[in-house]
Amino acid sequence: MAEKKLSKKTLAKSFRNWYYGHLTCFSQEHMQTFGYLCSMLPIVRELYDTPEEQQEALKTYSAFFNTEPQLGTVIVGVTAGLEEAKANGEAIDGEMINGIRAGLMGPVAGIGDSLVVGTLIPILLGIALGLSGGGSPLGAIFYIVVWNLVVTLGMRFLYYKGYELGGKAVEIIVGEKANAIREAVVMLGTIVIGAVAASWINITTSFKMLNADGSPIIDLQSTLDGICPKLLSAATVIFCWWLMSKKKISPTVVMLILVVIAFVGVLVGFFNPGLSY
Amino acid sequence: MEINLFQAVLFGLFACLSSMPGMGGTTIGNYTLGRPLVAGLVVGIIMGDIKTGIIIGAAIQVVYIALVTPGGTVSADVRAISYIGIPLAMVAIKGLGLDPASSEGTGMAVALGSAVGTLGTVLFYGTATVNLVWQHMGWRAVEKGQLNRLYVVDMVLPWISHFICSFLPTVIITMLGANMVDIIKNYLPMDGIAMMTLFTVGSLLPAVGVAILLKQVVSKPADLLTFFFGFVLAAIMGVNLIGAAIIGGFFAVLLYNIRLLQYKTAHVPAAGAADFDDDEEDI
Repeated sequence: MAEKKLSKKTLAKSFRNWYYGHLTCFSQEHMQTFGYLCSMLPIVRELYDTPEEQQEALKTYSAFFNTEPQLGTVIVGVTAGLEEAKANGEAIDGEMINGIRAGLMGPVAGIGDSLVVGTLIPILLGIALGLSGGGSPLGAIFYIVVWNLVVTLGMRFLYYKGYELGGKAVEIIVGEKANAIREAVVMLGTIVIGAVAASWINITTSFKMLNADGSPIIDLQSTLDGICPKLLSAATVIFCWWLMSKKKISPTVVMLILVVIAFVGVLVGFFNPGLSY
Repeated sequence: MEINLFQAVLFGLFACLSSMPGMGGTTIGNYTLGRPLVAGLVVGIIMGDIKTGIIIGAAIQVVYIALVTPGGTVSADVRAISYIGIPLAMVAIKGLGLDPASSEGTGMAVALGSAVGTLGTVLFYGTATVNLVWQHMGWRAVEKGQLNRLYVVDMVLPWISHFICSFLPTVIITMLGANMVDIIKNYLPMDGIAMMTLFTVGSLLPAVGVAILLKQVVSKPADLLTFFFGFVLAAIMGVNLIGAAIIGGFFAVLLYNIRLLQYKTAHVPAAGAADFDDDEEDI
C-alpha cells in the first residue's frame, strides 16, 4: 500500500477553513468545535476512501474544543499530521489524538491570551494610537496592515510547523526558548502600556480651597502635579487593578464602582468637567 | 448630523462582521474591524468625517485596549461599542457642539461608547444561543454522513444569527439614537449632576482598560515597576508611544538574553520543561 500523503492543496484548504471559520459558529456549548470539524474535513476526505471511514474519522473531532484561535492553529496542524500518521497505519487512534488535542488547548489558550490578546494587540494599538494624533488615519491603517500581516503569516507558520513536527511541535510553544521570548515580549508590552496610560488617561481634580478674596490657598491639582505628573491617573489604574486582581471583582462591577466614585466626587466638588453648551 | 438608513445598514453589516463570534473571522473581523480605533476610521468614512471618527475611536480604544475573552466570557462585545457607540458618540458630540479633540469631547465619547458596550454582552449571548440551532443541525448531518453540510452550518447559517442579533439592533438603535441628542440637550444641562458625572466617568473608564491588561501581565508586585517605568517615560520624560516601544524593545532583548543564559547555566532537565508552564498566567 502506497503511503498516504496530504496534498498541498488539501493542507491549504484545511488552514483556510480554520483561519476563517474557527469561531463563526460559536455557542457556549461547542465553542470552536465546528470550526475544527470544517478544518479537518478536507483532510479526512483525502485520507480515507469510503464515506463510512470519513465519517468515523471525523467523529474524533466532534469533542468540545476551545483555545486561543491564533496560537491554537498549531494544534490543528499537529492533529493534521497525526491523522495522516493514523491513516498510514501507525499506532495512533482517535482517542489518542483527542487526548493530545484536549491536553494542549488549555495551555495554548493561557499562553495565547497573554501573548496575542494581552501583549501583541495592545503594543500595536499603543503605537497606532501614537500615530492617530489630531485624527490622523495613519494609526488605524498601520494597525490594519501590521496586525493582519503578522498574524496571518504567524498562523500559517504554526499550522505547517505543527503538521511537520506532529507532537514535537508542542516544544515550540512551551519550550524554554519560547518562555524566554514570552517573558521578554510581556515586558515590552508592560512598558508600552505604562506609556499608553500616561498618554491617554487624563484624570484631574478641580478641588481648590479659596480664601476670602477668591485666590486659592490650596490648588490640589497643581500640588499633585508637583509630586508627579498624572498622579491621579496612575492611582486610578492601580486602584482598578487592585480591585480586580486582589479583590477578584469583575471589570463590569469595577466600572460601576467608578460611576459611584464619579457621582460622589462631583457632589463634593472633587470632579468638575466645567462644561456648558 | 443625522444617520440615514443607508449609513445605518452599513453599520449593521460591519457589526455582523466584527463581533466576537463574527462573520469576518476573528483575525479580520473581531481583531481588526472590531477594534474601536479601526472602527473610528470605518465609521468616519461612512459618516463623511474621518478626523472626528478617528479621534473618538482612539479615545474609546483605550478603554478596550485589553479586550480579553478568557474561555468565551465577555465583559463587553465590540460590535456594539464600535458600530453603535461610535456613530452615536459622533452624532452626540456634533449635536452638542463639543470639540471632539477636547477632553470633554472624548469624555462624552468614552462614556457613551461604554454604556452602549454593555448592550453588546446581551447581543453576544443572543448570537451564541441562536447558533445552538445550527449546531444541532450540524450534529444531525454528521450522524447521517452528510459531511459537506458542516460548511453551511459553520459559515453560512450563522449569518441568520447575526441578522437577528447584530444587524437589526444596530440599524434600529443608530437610527433612533440620532434623535436623542435634542432630548439630552433639553433635559440634561451640562452643569447638572447627571452630565457632570457622565463626563467624569468618561475620564475614569480608560483606567479600567489599562488595569485589565495589568492583571494579565503582572504576576508579582515588582512587575508593577515595569509598568511605572513606561508611565514615567511618557508622563515625566515626555517620550511618545513609538519611543516607549523602542525603549521597551531594548529592555526586552536584554531580558531575553539574560533568561537564555539562566536556562543554559541551570541545566534544566528536558522533563521539567513540561511542568514549569505558566502558573503566573492564572493570577
